[in-house]
Amino acid sequence: MTPHTRRSAADRTDAVRALLEAARTVVRHRSRWADAIARTTGLSREGVELGFTRHLETDVTEAELDALVAAAGDASVVHVVLSANVFTAPLRAIALARAAAPLVVVRPSRRDPVLARALAEVSRDPAITIVDELDVAAISTGEIHVYGRDETIALLRTRARAGVVVRGHGAGMGVAIVSPSADLALAAEALASDVVAFDQRGCLSPRIVIAVGDDPRAAELSRALHEALLAIAERVPRGVLTPDERAEGARWVDAVTFAGFAFRAADHVVGFVPRVAPIVAPTGRHVHVCAASTESAARAYLAPFARWIVAVGSDDPEWASDLAPPHARVSALGAMQRPPLDGPVDRRSPSPSRASL
Amino acid sequence: MTLVNAASERASDALHVRARAFVAAFEAGVAMPESFDALACDLARFQATQVEGFARLCRARGVDVSLIDRAHHVPAVPTDAFKLTRVATFAHESSVVTFRTSGTTVGARGAHSMRTTLTYDAGALAFGRWALARDLRTRPAVIVVGPSPNEACDSSLTHMIALFACALGRLAPAGDTYFIEAGELRVDALCARIAGLDPFVPALVLGTSFGFVHLLDALRARAHTPSLALPKGSRIMQTGGFKGRSREVDADALRRELAELFAVSVSAIVSEYGMTELSSQFYDAQPAPGVFVEPPWARVVPVDPETLAPVGSGEIGIARIEDLLNVDSALAVLAADRVRRVDGGFELLGRATGAAPRGCSIAIDEILSE
Repeated sequence: MTPHTRRSAADRTDAVRALLEAARTVVRHRSRWADAIARTTGLSREGVELGFTRHLETDVTEAELDALVAAAGDASVVHVVLSANVFTAPLRAIALARAAAPLVVVRPSRRDPVLARALAEVSRDPAITIVDELDVAAISTGEIHVYGRDETIALLRTRARAGVVVRGHGAGMGVAIVSPSADLALAAEALASDVVAFDQRGCLSPRIVIAVGDDPRAAELSRALHEALLAIAERVPRGVLTPDERAEGARWVDAVTFAGFAFRAADHVVGFVPRVAPIVAPTGRHVHVCAASTESAARAYLAPFARWIVAVGSDDPEWASDLAPPHARVSALGAMQRPPLDGPVDRRSPSPSRASL
Repeated sequence: MTLVNAASERASDALHVRARAFVAAFEAGVAMPESFDALACDLARFQATQVEGFARLCRARGVDVSLIDRAHHVPAVPTDAFKLTRVATFAHESSVVTFRTSGTTVGARGAHSMRTTLTYDAGALAFGRWALARDLRTRPAVIVVGPSPNEACDSSLTHMIALFACALGRLAPAGDTYFIEAGELRVDALCARIAGLDPFVPALVLGTSFGFVHLLDALRARAHTPSLALPKGSRIMQTGGFKGRSREVDADALRRELAELFAVSVSAIVSEYGMTELSSQFYDAQPAPGVFVEPPWARVVPVDPETLAPVGSGEIGIARIEDLLNVDSALAVLAADRVRRVDGGFELLGRATGAAPRGCSIAIDEILSE
């Protein structure tokens, strides 16, 4: 990579450290922003609290910082376009941009601009500028980091000028794989915490659960997950779903009710369909559980979705690594939504493209 | 055969007879033999006794089918259910045919099994004849921009088109009828076939939208575009979407391009709307292109996507399709298409796009569009 700047690794690390300190300050004073975030995201107030206290990546090791800086690249300026993401995501996005460049311009998500603005305000880092609009076609140098749907990324690529690097971070999903030897109650409890975070709207959120074993075992896991989600909902109720989300949920629930079993509650539905490949459950605490009789059956179930799988969680991460797509982050159940701040959360990262070349 | 199976088959047979009576009445131009609701509710009761999943869905929706007297009370089965499980009132070994959805790169294909095709065939032919050939005074030459049933034996569309070719058209060898072979469009053979048509015999050209787009693209790539002018009185039926199988073309634009290519008026092009999970089809009735008409044995009801209640007059909803010919599967099917009732029928407004993502989690429609 051609160096664009003369910043040392220490300078980059310090810039990220300062941002992390700002994030910790935001967390300490989170009540100032929590209501606004609840409004913009639809999360319950408790869901916002959970995001701040458990999922915002403020505890970072030196090794993770080094990895983040190494992964960030080098640019004269980075323009960050946040179009659709979970509310905590601006921290990682800005940290990556700040590690890469001495100047960062952020266009927050129009729907959910709160944390990006809060971080910029609290950090008082003159290198970070928040803008309401960003004319991609007018950017003549540096990089554009786009977070959003594939079609959004593709559109911005077509608009960007020649020579400007566009790094796209598309949407994705998580999958949980439960081993034949798992303690189902423990696995379900951990998995429930992964589902509940951000009401399952993150690219790491598990939407399919594959239980390796027979159908009765998968049914038992489904029931255990249902009970675990019920218990969590008492502490962290689901927020407000959009009419479209509710419609998608209703359709999926009817389909799994017809084909198998739907464990329903006010704040979630766990669907279990025996003897068949899974379909992707909608977001909003809907989980599709299926049984894979063997590891190779589990691989076959994962294959059609591999390109979208960003995270794989398992009670046995080492075992699951052999089943997971190579690009996926593999973690223990309960830690799917807490990836280390060591680079882009999404390791699929398509090679950056120079627009219009 | 067990006694239970024999009894259910007798019940099914009796319902098939009642369903086909609707078709016969339509063809005879006489009043329907009974009310739509009466047969619909009897079908739902039969299906609830035979299909465990449907009984479960009824319970979950709080519907006691023994008490209902209107078709719109019957819970609709989402098309996704056909991907996840068998939707049938009869044992697998009694299937005479299983049609499958074309599917996408992701997940399972939907399947619709039948223990008899008599009812499907009767309905398809009667309404197809009405939509495509009711004013033709002679049997047309049939040209299919699609595969033969031997190549696509699990496609309901191919089955229906083959039915039309046999029952509506002039006898012709398969090589002169079907022009997609092993996935390849036989452009030269198609051009030669059209060039050799009797100018006094109209043609009926049947094909999928993506097949027609491939034809247009193939002809455009040639230095000299041959004339594909069809004889006077010819008809074209186009159906289906694109689903990544060709470039997408706006429906009106495709209609205009086909009219130009085949030298017919735009009003000679009829769109068909159907799906594997159904036994009935819908056609846009001339002279109102874009307005699909139902046969008397099927209804398309726009419903609210969340509550599944019918939407107000003129409002857009998701298509809930009540199909009296779906005797052995699901009387009511919830499609993923957006529709609106208008005078004389309904408009098809494209696939519901699903929920816009509020986070970075992948949207279902983004997966399905692959």
